[in-house]
Amino acid sequence: MIEAIQFSSFSEFLDMGGYAFNVWSVYGLFAVFIIANLWLPLNKRKQILREQKRRLLVNEERNITTDDKQQ
Amino acid sequence: MFWTLVKLMSTDMSRSSTSVAFRSTLKRDLLIAFKKKNDIANPFMFFIIVVSLFPIAITPDGDRLAEIAAGVVWISVLLASMLSMDNLYRSDYEDGSLEQLLLSPHPLFFMVLSKNISHWLVSGLPVVVAAPLLAYMLSLPQEAYLTLIASLLIGTPILSLIGSIAVALTVGLGSRGLILAVITLPMSVPVLIFGTLAVEASVGVGSPAGYLALMLAMLAASLSLAPLASAAALRISIS
Amino acid sequence: MWLWFSKLGSPKWFYELSGKWLPWLVGAMIISMTVAVVWALLYLPPDYQQGYTSRILVVHVAVAGTSLAFFPLMAVAGTITLVWKMKLADMVAKNAAALGAWFSFITLATGSLWGSVMWGTWWEWTDARLVSMLFQFFLLLGVVSLRSALEDPDKAAKACALLSIVGCINVVIIKYSVEWWNVLHQPSSPLSVNSDSPNGPEFWIATIIMVLAVYLFLSISLILATRNEILQRERRAQWVQELVRNS
Repeated sequence: MIEAIQFSSFSEFLDMGGYAFNVWSVYGLFAVFIIANLWLPLNKRKQILREQKRRLLVNEERNITTDDKQQ
Repeated sequence: MFWTLVKLMSTDMSRSSTSVAFRSTLKRDLLIAFKKKNDIANPFMFFIIVVSLFPIAITPDGDRLAEIAAGVVWISVLLASMLSMDNLYRSDYEDGSLEQLLLSPHPLFFMVLSKNISHWLVSGLPVVVAAPLLAYMLSLPQEAYLTLIASLLIGTPILSLIGSIAVALTVGLGSRGLILAVITLPMSVPVLIFGTLAVEASVGVGSPAGYLALMLAMLAASLSLAPLASAAALRISIS
Repeated sequence: MWLWFSKLGSPKWFYELSGKWLPWLVGAMIISMTVAVVWALLYLPPDYQQGYTSRILVVHVAVAGTSLAFFPLMAVAGTITLVWKMKLADMVAKNAAALGAWFSFITLATGSLWGSVMWGTWWEWTDARLVSMLFQFFLLLGVVSLRSALEDPDKAAKACALLSIVGCINVVIIKYSVEWWNVLHQPSSPLSVNSDSPNGPEFWIATIIMVLAVYLFLSISLILATRNEILQRERRAQWVQELVRNS
């Protein structure tokens, strides 16, 4: 496995045969793209749950105090 | 509104065929268009003004203008047709006659088609007629005139038919000028490509016949499919 | 078959099933993504023409290939929305449009990063794929903006469904006409090397694994967004309220 690696040193790996900027920005962009599109929906889910829980509790409180109808 | 009522009454009483309804819708729309001359004049003026801006912005040099003439005319046509698209269904939507059209017993496909045809007659055709004059001002080579007119004659109805779908989808919206552009302009790319290629071919070595035939095929496809989509879009928007 | 179909349309059923699937999908994505990235960055031998830039193509080809799936996906979802009025199809389609625009953008960005080395230019109008991808990007943005312009969610669902079907047909026509246009406008092509030039089998294996990883990512992201949509639209349902209360 180790012998098949194309680079002999870490700095050589970072250099990517002279195309460091292009190769690493593509992989960086790709990583940002994937992480953002997984993190954003997860974050939104938290927001939705928080918001709906708050609304639910408010509604329940109101129902207890006015006691006119069940939900 | 009045005309729609007249049309509906007459169709109900005589149980006349769809072709009569088709013709009366066409006649009604043309009459309305000629009463509101602004709606015809403005897109036309817009087309002429946009074309005359290009030499000012780019170059007064005839040789260089000749190179871009076809593209300039086509892009201006595209923008003008989009601008005029806006009043395809709007006034009918506002006065409620569009709803009547949806309720009429005739297939909506033909009603939409007739509205598209009348719209093209008042907005597309003037542009095609004016095109040679503007092409001359842009010093387009003479051998390309016929192709330019032919390609515009085939191409502008396609633009109207495609635009009609987007207008029908957004008919209920208050401000929709920009969203119309965002939806319609990318869809018009094939027409733009073949329209300009045909003109270029007639200047150079090739023959424009192939491109014009392809455009005719696109016209046939959009004549049969686009009103279907427009009708579905109208039903979605007005419900 | 029809029972299964209507069951699939139920948001609750989808929510529960996707909850069971998600860990497996995420696991599979992490494994395949790691394998593909490590292979591409460490083991892939430099291409004889492109050198190490073939590493860019592993990502670019995978994202580009996947981004072509969006319009067919949205057209199918749109047909289901219009014909069977299934709520779930629209929830998927709504998020697919935005995600598809992201995919197209990343395809364009990685493509021009590759092109800046191989063609010496960041943008090349003579490459039909770049140009048609650009218009696919515009069309997807059109669907997104139509969705945000229409306030009534039911109307927006149907309108976007119709636009997706029209757009799907249109994308195909645009693709072929741009290719045609491109063939005729290539007097001096800088594209002596294009991405179809012979890459080794190692390259294609890495790319296939990457495609798999990107597809898994696509489905995970879409499922997560759809679950959010379900929570929002079904907030009055008993099961959602219980779920919220226990969160």
